[in-house]
Amino acid sequence: MTKGTVASVGVVIVLLMSTLISSATRLQPATASADRTLLNQYCVSCHNQRLKTAALTLDTADLTDIPAGAEIWEKVIQKLQSSAMPPPGRLRPDAMAVQTFVKRLESALDQAAAARPNPGRLALHRLNRAEYANAIHDLLALTIDARSMLFADDADQHGFDNNADVLSVSPALMERYMSAARKIARLTLGRGMSNPVSDTYSIPRMLVQDTRTDDDLPLGSRGGMAIRHRFPVDGEYRLKIKLQTNLYDYIRGLGQRHQLDVRLDSARIKLFTIGGENPAKPAPAGFAGAIFGDTAWEDYSHNADKSLEFQFTARAGERVVAVSFVGRAPTAAEGVLLPRQVGYPLAVNEAPDGDPAVDFVQITGPLTVVGPGDTPSRRSVLLCQPAKSSEESCATKIFASLARRAYRRPVTPEDVRTLMRFYEQAASEGGFEAGIEAGLERMLVDPEFLFRVEVDRHDTSGKPFQITDLELCSRLSFFLWSSIPDNELLDLAEHGRLRAPGVLEAQVRRMLADPRATRSLVDNFAGQWLVIRNVDSITPNTDLFHEFDENLRSAMKKETELFVEDQLRSDKGIPELLSATYTFLNERLARHYGIRDVYGDAFRRLELDGSHRGGLLGQASLLTVTSYPDRTSPVLRGKWLLENMLGTPPPPPPGNAGTLKENGADGRPAPVRDRLEEHRKNLACASCHLQMDPLGFALENFDAIGTWRSRAEGGAPVDASAALIDGTTFAGLPGLRQHLLSRRDQFAATVTEKLLSYALGRTVEYYDKPTVRQIVRNTAADDYRWSAVILEIVKSRPFQMRRAER
Amino acid sequence: MILSRQPISRRAVLRGMGVTLALPLLDGMSPVFGAVRRAVKSPTRLGVVYVPNGIVMENWTPAEEGTGFGFTPTLKPLEPFSEHVTVVTGLNGNPGGGPHAGAATRFLTDVAAKQDNANILAGISVDQFVAREFGRETQLASLELGLDTRDFAGSCDIGYSCAYTNTIAWKSPTTPLPIENDPRAVFERLFGDGGTTDQATRIARARHDKSILDSITEKTASLSRRLGHGDRGKIEQYLDAIRDVERRIQKAEADSANALPEVDQPAGVPSRYSDHAKLMFDMQVLAYQSDLTRVVTFMMGREISGRSYAEIGVPDAHHPISHHQNIPENIAKLCKINVFHISLLSYYFEKLRATPDGDGTLLDSLLLIYGSGMSNSNEHSPANLPILIGGGAAGQLKGGRHIKVGAGVPLANLHLTLLDRLGVQIESIGNSTGRMQTLSLS
Repeated sequence: MTKGTVASVGVVIVLLMSTLISSATRLQPATASADRTLLNQYCVSCHNQRLKTAALTLDTADLTDIPAGAEIWEKVIQKLQSSAMPPPGRLRPDAMAVQTFVKRLESALDQAAAARPNPGRLALHRLNRAEYANAIHDLLALTIDARSMLFADDADQHGFDNNADVLSVSPALMERYMSAARKIARLTLGRGMSNPVSDTYSIPRMLVQDTRTDDDLPLGSRGGMAIRHRFPVDGEYRLKIKLQTNLYDYIRGLGQRHQLDVRLDSARIKLFTIGGENPAKPAPAGFAGAIFGDTAWEDYSHNADKSLEFQFTARAGERVVAVSFVGRAPTAAEGVLLPRQVGYPLAVNEAPDGDPAVDFVQITGPLTVVGPGDTPSRRSVLLCQPAKSSEESCATKIFASLARRAYRRPVTPEDVRTLMRFYEQAASEGGFEAGIEAGLERMLVDPEFLFRVEVDRHDTSGKPFQITDLELCSRLSFFLWSSIPDNELLDLAEHGRLRAPGVLEAQVRRMLADPRATRSLVDNFAGQWLVIRNVDSITPNTDLFHEFDENLRSAMKKETELFVEDQLRSDKGIPELLSATYTFLNERLARHYGIRDVYGDAFRRLELDGSHRGGLLGQASLLTVTSYPDRTSPVLRGKWLLENMLGTPPPPPPGNAGTLKENGADGRPAPVRDRLEEHRKNLACASCHLQMDPLGFALENFDAIGTWRSRAEGGAPVDASAALIDGTTFAGLPGLRQHLLSRRDQFAATVTEKLLSYALGRTVEYYDKPTVRQIVRNTAADDYRWSAVILEIVKSRPFQMRRAER
Repeated sequence: MILSRQPISRRAVLRGMGVTLALPLLDGMSPVFGAVRRAVKSPTRLGVVYVPNGIVMENWTPAEEGTGFGFTPTLKPLEPFSEHVTVVTGLNGNPGGGPHAGAATRFLTDVAAKQDNANILAGISVDQFVAREFGRETQLASLELGLDTRDFAGSCDIGYSCAYTNTIAWKSPTTPLPIENDPRAVFERLFGDGGTTDQATRIARARHDKSILDSITEKTASLSRRLGHGDRGKIEQYLDAIRDVERRIQKAEADSANALPEVDQPAGVPSRYSDHAKLMFDMQVLAYQSDLTRVVTFMMGREISGRSYAEIGVPDAHHPISHHQNIPENIAKLCKINVFHISLLSYYFEKLRATPDGDGTLLDSLLLIYGSGMSNSNEHSPANLPILIGGGAAGQLKGGRHIKVGAGVPLANLHLTLLDRLGVQIESIGNSTGRMQTLSLS
């Protein structure tokens, strides 16, 4: 584990220290005057009372009481560390002097923070959509389609959508919560599901169905999809398959016979044969416009999939419906391998000799209801199957158990009474299960389910105080699982044992070992920190990037997810995110990377010897989300690196910034580097762009969808060299990685700060910076191992304490 | 604490493999408890029905001008509603923007679709000008419906984004509004997830919801007392949301005397085209009747549609056959499709006329624009467009006429004139050069 003393969170120690340290935070007058000289020499010509540049007046800032100006000094530290100040063209102090000054500021601030901690306050926190869905899953053993039930949550300015201050409630959302509660209560018990509904599962057109696309599909199959469908009750359902057509509604690939296989939980329930039926007259040569064919053929090629519909019996619960083409190898290309079709050619070609593809699968039902069935949800909720006389006591037992986990605290008789009122009303009309459903519906809109509530203590008179074990237990589970605590955590918290020696650490390790932790940290933390969530919405220009298809899109995202998941699971040091020499690839992505001998859709771990890639920064997902649809942007990439890797986001451009000219003096499009050269000439741009642009230049060997290239957009050879303001030079991805790794503490601090913000569900403020520095110090010897950083966050004051209201 | 409200629009992801479909959702939208306003003077509504791939003009254009014109073979199914039909011929649409992308785009904007991969750019469509005004009164500013759903990435018409062929409604020059083709989703947007418009069910649902809301209000009040000052602001926001929902429930109860026809939530998309179209017309009647919106656009097919109409004996694909090459057999098939669309429109008219609204019927209060963005499909012609104005526009329109405009009158002039009739003042749109004097009140 970590070396050094982990700062205890006990109020006692804090109080003890505060008396000792108050004098230590005052600098010796001699030191203060040396620092004053430095400020006067390099800073105050702009940051003074008269000019007030950036609203900063360093001429009057008090260097003898640094903690009093903590907010300002934290900014100064950041600007100095990132070499953003003094601006280019101004005289700079030597690096040693800066470091000495920064260290002095930091130690003064850190000591003061230790003496008088400000843990901040968490606002009342509405569960965001991911947390809501996970909570429902853990509470009711029910997987819901949260995207169709609730709105997406707004992200804060740092990109996290779990920021309590940002999570609001609108009337429309309230209605969504009510309707979601109703649907979920119904689905849980499988009651009142007699109205048939259709669910349609579509496959994007640009997802090329030439391989086995899911592990739940039969071996050797091609295309189609495996659907995890929730059948609400035991009963009859109808399944309908629509095949992909070209733009003019001709079904593709009908020239030969194909077998379409449908399975329910791996057992075949239907085998269709389609295609290969040649009407008398041949098909027309093409359909791009005016030519049309024989009527019988026209009819067949439009309606051949009308018969792909049948009725079947399914048992209630989530089952895998697998639809795929079987019994025949994918059509082998002969002669010259043609590029995949995109855009217009794809839209018009009905490819009679090609492979058909599934457009959508529609499941409708129940057409007849046999019964509610035996589902994990029913089993988890219906703890007792009462005789008529004991129904009420059984209902009481059920609600007491559910409410404890839903509200994340011991239940009170009043909690149960409230739910029982809804039970009684509904049970008197519709019986026991109707009552349970009504109570459940009420519980799911309770403010104590929808909100994470932390209550102030009245006896602390304005001092920060330790939150209760139960509050801590919720903070833990929402941090590590994006969900409600389990029984083990609740038990410990209820008995006040969560903070007993060794318990907290053991619990964090247990939680990290749970697949929920890696899943939620990858999806919700890394997905937002690294903006890989945006891979879903990128739209590369397919006229320029013919090879971009849905298979590549999902492979890009999957690579980064698997990579980060592996880093977390094997508890690597945070800098390994950059330095790793392996990754995860499938055939599609390997082809994109020019890596040979990788076959099939399944991802596997590969060493990247001799490749241009390695670490996060060589991954196509990141390179693509930081590009424009038609070209790379060293500015976007540089900004992304400053913000997410180095923790020194540039300020937004000034209002009068203007834009660069697209064309050079000769009227032709200028190379990106030449255009960005303008930034260097214009002082208003230079102070930020000289930080951003060079970092981005280093990645110029990767185009806008992350393909390796040696020539840039205009055709000129790529120049991936970078020269930073402080004189550092390097080139290409290896150079950039080396540069970032030489600042591994700064990188670790950036990740820690992001993770702390995510853990708390609030913005990290200046008063949290000492905590970040402390965590970085305490985990350095361990090379910033994930578990060490997470444990330090859990033990930190902002996580353990709460500032009283002033 | 300033808290941002939910954004006006969102991207909802269809279940399954991540096909995204943007659904505009208004903050004030309250499905279940659609307020049924009963004004004596019924509000004016705007409807637009679009058919793709042009219309055979020979069978469409009446021979006589003015009142008492004879219904042509294509228009014949509308003859029972002759006093609510005005045919306008001779209008020219903006000729630019690709053969099919241009057709759908010009229909309500009279601008040309822009051939540019990075940006889409058209103009604000007529329905959206109206929605800006009428939308203040209703829960949904407008509905955009259709019968197709497609996701052609890249281009549809050569070099043009599919946005141009897939919709006719543009909220801004850069915001095409996606169409919804699933009646079940439309129903849920209008009436919530109760599964039916049945009054007793909706009232029972409302009472049940009210008891839940009462109970959580009580609980929240006691919770609020334990919270700090800052958090109380947040809980107040939550209580506001609850009160807002309660207000709608009360409204729904107060309006309970005005019954909607009992309609159950559709299960999904019917497989027969005509069933699908009729169901979508039913949804439009319901939307107007419940006054949840006053502006609806409806595409009976996306532009360039290759749908085959086997159910009326035309198994050929619409688009190829629309390139009829002047072969009589092909033209006859195309005419059959044209008539089929009009007969479905007459189903809609019948429904509208059977639905009381204020002192008249819904057909009296609706102004409906029907037509296509091209005339002769063999030439992709943007000139002499087939346009029909239906309904009574709440007394703002005199029907039963065939108006033939002089050469070179832009389609946009008709749009400006209709906007005037609807009380929406717009200076100019598209290629407009003025108002249409011939489309007078009497």
